[in-house]
Amino acid sequence: MKPFFKLIPVLVLSFFMASCAASGPKFTELSNSISTLPPDTGRIFIYRTSFLGAGVQPEVKLNGEIIGKAIPQGFFYADRKPGNYEVLTSTEVDRRLSLTLNSGQVRYVRLDVSFGFFVGHVFPVLVEDEVGKSEIQECRYEEFKRSEKQIEKKEPGDELQ
Amino acid sequence: MIVEEEISVSMELQEMLTENGYKSKSKRARNRVGFCLIVVFLLHACAFDVVHLRQSSCQIEKVKSNGKSFRLGKEVQVTLDTGYSRKLKDGVRWDYVGVIPLGEVFRTNDQILTVEGSNIFEAYIVVSSGKLVGFYLPVEKTFSSISQPIELEIIELKYIQ
Repeated sequence: MKPFFKLIPVLVLSFFMASCAASGPKFTELSNSISTLPPDTGRIFIYRTSFLGAGVQPEVKLNGEIIGKAIPQGFFYADRKPGNYEVLTSTEVDRRLSLTLNSGQVRYVRLDVSFGFFVGHVFPVLVEDEVGKSEIQECRYEEFKRSEKQIEKKEPGDELQ
Repeated sequence: MIVEEEISVSMELQEMLTENGYKSKSKRARNRVGFCLIVVFLLHACAFDVVHLRQSSCQIEKVKSNGKSFRLGKEVQVTLDTGYSRKLKDGVRWDYVGVIPLGEVFRTNDQILTVEGSNIFEAYIVVSSGKLVGFYLPVEKTFSSISQPIELEIIELKYIQ
């Protein structure tokens, strides 16, 4: 009986981790069906590999527009016109990443987690293309469903400056 | 005799009380100091917007270059004033972008370059007299200097227009 009881916390933890993780199709399964980049646009992939602070899943904003959530093992992407962009995550603090996007360019932004005062901080990091391409393979697509409020709200423009 | 004994007992009691009182006061003070230290540590270690990257606004002039692109002959390790460090990889090609009052601005597609404080900014390098003097942040349109300019091993690519 004793070994069984020892397994309970492990099972509870695995259940918790699984429920916090992304549930969509894997990038490898989806990569063929991801649309090709429209002309005069660039693509920003945003993904999170870390399970650290799995319960902390802030929304991710691109130039003020919510485009997804920082779900462990999850990814999503946004196609945008060339220009300047800011990726923002908010927990107890705001963490920003500023980047440029050119036409036809694909950029990879990883959401890392660090310890915080009350909750963990999720912060966006611009990674090398090779690193991004490799790390995103096992992540699962997380479609972001906008709430009615967000749909009604006027979308901000793409250009930062 | 009884009076003498009473006096000695009361003195002992007084000593004990003062001693205990002193001990508890000092313990309380130590606890307070400890608590303050923990709070300061936590605030410093993990919370909020504490690491600022010094930036000064500047305008980039896109003066036509005459084949100023170059390759870096040797890897360079840069420690930013924020404490974070960055590597400029050897062999990476840097293309001329323009000029700011503090030097010439170069960008690359061969590696990701960001500078980091509490937030992360994509960056180009600023070179003056063959030395790296700081970074130009294209989204913010600002310059961030480094305290000690670093000599770069520059291999000029004169054939590139």
